Amino acid sequence: MHNSPRAETDTPKKSPREIFNAWFPNNEWALLAVIAVEVFVFGISGENFLTAANGFEIGRLGVELGLLALALTPIIISGGIDLSAGSMMGLSAVVFGALWRDAQLPIPAAIVLTLAAGLAGGALNAVMIARFQLPPLIVTLGSFSLFRGLAEALTRGIENYSGFPPSFLFFGQGYLGGVLPPQLLLLGAAIIGYALLLHRTSIGRAIYAIGFSPEGARFAGIPVARRLALIYMLSGAAASAAAIVYVAHLGQAKADAGTGFELMAITAVVLGGTSIFGGRGTIPGSVLGLIAIVVLQNGLRLSGQPAELAGILTGALLVATILIDRATRRARIRTAAAAGIANGIAGDAEEAEEAGVKNSQVAVLSAVILAAALIVAGSNWLLVRSLRESAAPQGGKRGESSVEKSRPVIAMMPKAKGDPYFISCRQGAEEAARELGVDLLWDGPTDLDPAKQNEVVEAWITRGVDAIAVSVENQAGISTVLRKARERGIGVLTWDADSERDARDFFINQATPQGIGYTLMDEAARILDRRGEFAIITASLSAANQNEWIRHIRARLAAEYPEIKLVAVQPSDGDRDRAFAETQTVLKVHPGVRLVMAIAAPAVPGAAEAVKQSGRSEVKVTGLSLPNMCKPYVHSGVIESFVLWNTVDLGYLTVYAARALVAKELKPGARRLGAGRLGEIAVEGDEVRLGAPFIFNKSNIDRFDF
Amino acid sequence: MNRYRREIAAAAALAALLATVALIAPSFFSPANARDLALNNAPALIVATGMTFVILTGQIDISVGSQFAVASITAGVLAKAGLPMPAVAAAVVICGCAMGAVNGVLVARWRIPSIVATLAMMVVLRDALRWATEGAWVQNLPRNFQWFGLGQTAGGFIIVLAALLIFAASIFLLGRVAAGRAVYAVGASSEAARLAGIDPRRVTFGVFVWMGALTALAAFVNAARFAEVPGNAGVGLELKAIAAVVVGGTAITGGRGTLAGTLAGAALLAVIGPALAFLGVNPYWEKALQGAIILAALLSEIALGRMQRHAQFASR
Repeated sequence: MHNSPRAETDTPKKSPREIFNAWFPNNEWALLAVIAVEVFVFGISGENFLTAANGFEIGRLGVELGLLALALTPIIISGGIDLSAGSMMGLSAVVFGALWRDAQLPIPAAIVLTLAAGLAGGALNAVMIARFQLPPLIVTLGSFSLFRGLAEALTRGIENYSGFPPSFLFFGQGYLGGVLPPQLLLLGAAIIGYALLLHRTSIGRAIYAIGFSPEGARFAGIPVARRLALIYMLSGAAASAAAIVYVAHLGQAKADAGTGFELMAITAVVLGGTSIFGGRGTIPGSVLGLIAIVVLQNGLRLSGQPAELAGILTGALLVATILIDRATRRARIRTAAAAGIANGIAGDAEEAEEAGVKNSQVAVLSAVILAAALIVAGSNWLLVRSLRESAAPQGGKRGESSVEKSRPVIAMMPKAKGDPYFISCRQGAEEAARELGVDLLWDGPTDLDPAKQNEVVEAWITRGVDAIAVSVENQAGISTVLRKARERGIGVLTWDADSERDARDFFINQATPQGIGYTLMDEAARILDRRGEFAIITASLSAANQNEWIRHIRARLAAEYPEIKLVAVQPSDGDRDRAFAETQTVLKVHPGVRLVMAIAAPAVPGAAEAVKQSGRSEVKVTGLSLPNMCKPYVHSGVIESFVLWNTVDLGYLTVYAARALVAKELKPGARRLGAGRLGEIAVEGDEVRLGAPFIFNKSNIDRFDF
Repeated sequence: MNRYRREIAAAAALAALLATVALIAPSFFSPANARDLALNNAPALIVATGMTFVILTGQIDISVGSQFAVASITAGVLAKAGLPMPAVAAAVVICGCAMGAVNGVLVARWRIPSIVATLAMMVVLRDALRWATEGAWVQNLPRNFQWFGLGQTAGGFIIVLAALLIFAASIFLLGRVAAGRAVYAVGASSEAARLAGIDPRRVTFGVFVWMGALTALAAFVNAARFAEVPGNAGVGLELKAIAAVVVGGTAITGGRGTLAGTLAGAALLAVIGPALAFLGVNPYWEKALQGAIILAALLSEIALGRMQRHAQFASR
């Protein structure tokens, strides 16, 4: 509406078509159609999808992402990009936490200073981009590392600020008038603010002009550098605001806040019709793009579809919306040319010539959309089939007796779906689900985003499952949402890693962090013969569990083994290849190291391969990993031993406990729990114990297959 | 000097870093360390080489990390199925070409901005792979998989040699072959290139196919360094490759840049992490310093430009 020169030449009376075009200059209607289809499909397949409560829940999930997307819209319209927004969130979160807890500032003061820090970070980008005219992509690629790195360095990755006052947490977790999440008001205000800035002020016009042609804008008397500086600084402040919302939402501030948000936000903006080349785009478009993405994620979860589908469909959508835009734009230009006003849109005509979308291409486009639809349809068919299967055993009984309940649904969440450790847990969980005749929902984060676990639990609450079992990544963060689940009468278990005690009914405990830390250290001491140097290869520097283990390893080391020295702790980000390279470096920097302790499952084979290739047979590897991954190295002697528990049994036991919890067999005061092939398992207080950590070595490893 | 300002800035940053290391931790310069660094970064160099072509054309490819993961798993699965290693290599490269061709069609034929098209490819490929494998590793590979069955020394030599050969061939291609010159021409001005008789669409398409092939090859040689293939390889590889190229002075708008610069950029990024470890810098600072060094390299370029302008002014 604002980037088409036709707007100025409009006669007072507009035809419906022109009004339509004015409202949707970049074919945002396509997104409305997409959202309508999503709502329709998920309304049928998702449980409790079409409820007001879920609508607000979707809104809550979109606030942080929305703030970033809003800030990115003018930047992309100006022809730039800001990759540092997600990292700025991480930095702002820890700055906010430190100001509140360590500097003991009141919350409002901390908020103001955090926003100032965001402005300062944005100013750094602004100076480099606007003043020195460096390419935004490279500058923000650099600050992307810089901001996240500062956040990690300031907190040593360990610091996790939590325990914020309830009045602050209400902003992220509460409901105004019982329904409205408070942070939605902030997003609403930001939308209005950005829409006014971009579409109703001369600054906004200037940004479009810069996006079309920075040179031309300068000749037209626009202060290009100042306008650019403004939007990059605003982006920093918006990222800080998003970080504060995020902290209030999760109840914790940690260096990994907002990981990967920048790409999601860019996706939303581009989906909303903003041209990545600049000069074209609208705030309403970005909001629609945001809604399309958030609804898709939420809907897939509520209909029990794998989260991976969200990425696949988002990708297809991105391509499809742009192609639709191309095709209709061409048609529109043709009509415009016929009407003899082609001169007014010369700029577009050139683009249209380039685009050259033909009928054959529209056909291919239709095929893409059809393929995407088929994926949805196919998976829905699978869903229907699985529902039929689950309904089959009850047969006609359903109608006869209302007492006969349908199969209980047990929802179980790993810390990360792709992690081999959790894949083996899933084996056991599915085995138990088959034996007990319950429906198992297995879903969790596919990436490192710590907010994902909360989102999945929220979706399960909305869906209405019978029991939730979570392997907790962020204790402070998830406890609030687990309490909410308990209030709704859902049985809550934690397994593998615990939440706060009052947030769950029972904890399926395979080992305490202390037990793991002590066992690892004792095993290391045995291999080292109580003297010498060793190094630790951890997961990421901000991984909560690993940091807890390292704390206990250090404690044990200080108390028991004065002649052993820990010389280095290096990160591997849970990546085998990175663990390999880090181990190589450690061995060279500290030639005295006789033992490498890798405490993330993929890091152990990585470290073992590095030791093997170094040819130094006196160096050994130990740690925490899975038998199948390590078998070759255990047999060849590089890995002397490693520590773990039977992860398959852990998954198995968790499902048995969840079933007992639903059936009210497992309740406070219970002493024993019958767990199928595992026999009777002792219950101590509110913990179900799997058993002590197990040490795998050459003599026993072949008995295990997971 | 003006032409290669950015390349010089990257090389200067690298030299400054190496000089610091030489003063404080000379043990960094050992043959073993050089060999390990070369081997660990050979795959990244291959990807960065391909990325140089893409960025020179004025495009970008952020799907290489996902392509890398898909190619790694493909290599593992095929080798496990019993294919001989040369056949595996050929199949993996074809798979890479196919993924690159999809990008190429989206960008060159359908005119979807490359950052959007490859963003879509990035999430689609990664999530499809996660969906298919559920993160499982390819294990129990045949003996001839690791090091192509040739042993560590010979295998490692072949990998580094392959990377260098590809790099040298790419220099030749860009500098001396019409198809390579066309890359510069299209990147500098697509319209002028068209008027000069070059088909920009064909060049763009070809560049993405080349990128896919090189990514797949990198994944293949990387996988061959190990005895197992993890399910989630190459996360963040795209940023690493793009950073190496742009720090090495290639203009993100296309048409300007050299592979020598990419080599300097890749070397700088490859050395930062280990160098900091040798310097005894706490690993918690590593990421922050990495970002700071990228920004410093950018700023040094401006400083170089200033000095030059002053020099010109004085000589007038």
